[in-house]
Amino acid sequence: MTPLQHWRLSHLSLYRRLMIWLLCPLALLVAIMLLQAWFASREAADRAFDRLLDAASLSIAEQVRWQQSRLWMDLPPSALEMLATDAEERVFYALYDARGHFVTGNRSLPSLPPANNGQMSYGDVISRGMKLRLGVLRARLEGWDRSDRFEVRVAQTREGRQTLANQLFLASFVNIVIIAGLAMVVVLLSARSALEPLTRLRRAIRQRNPRTLAPLELALPRELAELRQALNELLARMRRVRANQERFIGDASHQLRTPLAGLSARAELAMRQSDPATWREAIATMHGTATKTARLASQLLSLTRLNNPEAAPAKQAVDLAALAQRCVKEAFSRHHRHGIDLGVEIPEHAVMVSANDWQLEEALNNLIENASLYGARQITVQVIDAPARLAVMDDGPGIPDTQRLLMLRPFHRGQETGDGSGLGLAIVDSIARAHDIRLTLQAVHPDHPERPGLCIVLTFPADA
Amino acid sequence: MASKLLLIEDDSLLASTLMETLTIENQRVDRIGDGGEAQTRLSLDHDYDLILLDLNLPTRSGLDVLATLRSRDRHTPVLILTARAAIEDRVKGLDLGADDYLAKPFALDELEARVRALLRRRQNDRNEPLELGSLRLDRQRQHFTLNDVALPLPPREHRLLACLIDHAGEPVDKARLLEDAFAGEAVGDNAVEVYVHRLRRRLGASDVKLRTVRGIGYLLEVQ
Repeated sequence: MTPLQHWRLSHLSLYRRLMIWLLCPLALLVAIMLLQAWFASREAADRAFDRLLDAASLSIAEQVRWQQSRLWMDLPPSALEMLATDAEERVFYALYDARGHFVTGNRSLPSLPPANNGQMSYGDVISRGMKLRLGVLRARLEGWDRSDRFEVRVAQTREGRQTLANQLFLASFVNIVIIAGLAMVVVLLSARSALEPLTRLRRAIRQRNPRTLAPLELALPRELAELRQALNELLARMRRVRANQERFIGDASHQLRTPLAGLSARAELAMRQSDPATWREAIATMHGTATKTARLASQLLSLTRLNNPEAAPAKQAVDLAALAQRCVKEAFSRHHRHGIDLGVEIPEHAVMVSANDWQLEEALNNLIENASLYGARQITVQVIDAPARLAVMDDGPGIPDTQRLLMLRPFHRGQETGDGSGLGLAIVDSIARAHDIRLTLQAVHPDHPERPGLCIVLTFPADA
Repeated sequence: MASKLLLIEDDSLLASTLMETLTIENQRVDRIGDGGEAQTRLSLDHDYDLILLDLNLPTRSGLDVLATLRSRDRHTPVLILTARAAIEDRVKGLDLGADDYLAKPFALDELEARVRALLRRRQNDRNEPLELGSLRLDRQRQHFTLNDVALPLPPREHRLLACLIDHAGEPVDKARLLEDAFAGEAVGDNAVEVYVHRLRRRLGASDVKLRTVRGIGYLLEVQ
């Protein structure tokens, strides 16, 4: 297996697939939550500390006076004390007049655009290499005769905010991690429990006796129950095939034992005798029986193949005329040597039917063989179009009307004197059935009582 | 000329019977009863005119043996003998390069006829003279003799009779005869019948008979 194949999704175990599909989104979700928690803690810390900035600015603004007609303030140290937290931040303040001139303070600070709601505006600035949180309060000093705008700018280093933000984030982080851990455990457990029936099914299949074809009995969830049903249907088909094979073995051994017994008995009898003429006769009989038995064996096999409930014939377009010609050509020499006149009558054009060619060949060969075994001297295979028909006519003794249906049964022989196995027409019949072919038996010369002949017609269905 | 046959068959009763039958016909027969051994033998050079091959063999299957043979020798005819009568096996064997197929059990005369036909084809390939009863075709000199008397034939009749003697003992269909004897010439529907009629007159009372096979074509055989 190449690495590429190894990583194809279809080869991935179900468990891994589930894990990937559940844990990846979970990880992404946790990451988003952590990011959000981080920003939320910073915002909360800023809000808390901004309120302090607000209060400090207001108390500074209260200290603004006119002194020699200019804005001035004296800042009591308490005003800034509220800004000093445990984190030992540094605090800066500055007073600017309306024109933006520095009036007083412990450090010059930049301005900020005014806030929309007329309140204090806040911003993060970097001033002289220090990260500062800056608050700007715009206020007005009102007197009897004058009014002056001024700006109080207060800034604070970020240590306190950072510490608070970190504390807040740590709390959320612990929560999120605990929740994610629980979720992961739930995912793992549920995947394992969802796949557990599969494991049970696998064990049940593995523990079966390989020879048994009994259905699988196992309580399974719906999706797997369908799989179990499919498996059981397959097993049922295999049971039918096996039953068919077993029946064949039974039939075959029974049917073959009888002629073999005859063969052996005849040979034994001949050995007790000493007359060469008797021997010759015995050998001829034995030859006949052996040939017949061999034919019986091969017919039994083909009947079993045909009756196999699972073997639906694969049909294709077959030219009946060509098929008839081919079969007759192949069978010709064999019959010609025995003085049987075998011929074919076909139309000039092809006669197409939908059928399985080897089964049709088998049927036709059986019909020809049957005719010759039951005493025909002339056999004609005829193909007629519209509707497509295949007929085998002979000039033999024929079959009486009353016997005709019985002839189709396996092991039923029309004449006890014939050399047939009694399977030929049964084979033809089962092929005809598989193809929806109508099989009819009739006399060729009904008015000729001695040799009425037999005409067996296979009429193909019109749509074929 | 005596032909040399190789019989690859594991069943000793069948093998000895076949050897005796085929030896009577002025042929030398060797026998191998094992698939692996046959494979080894046929992977070397050999001078057999015909190989009779059973498919169910110990150690290696007959189809393996056939594949080995065909990998280096495409000409020696092979006749498959098998108890597996299924059409699929037959098709498989013929696909692998067997020339004919005989399902067990078979009649001895059927086997003899097939062997004769295959040897005839072999002789034909080698341009050796063909004989059927008292009729003889000398391929190199392109003439027939009947009872050792030259039988001069016009070209079409010659080609028709040559085609029939190639396939002596088996029916040849009319389409084949038309193609071989009148190669592409536009002729009437009953042209073959006319020439067959003439040939029958020429063969006259000899032991070689030209028979009509109803619906198929014609058959040249010794009476």
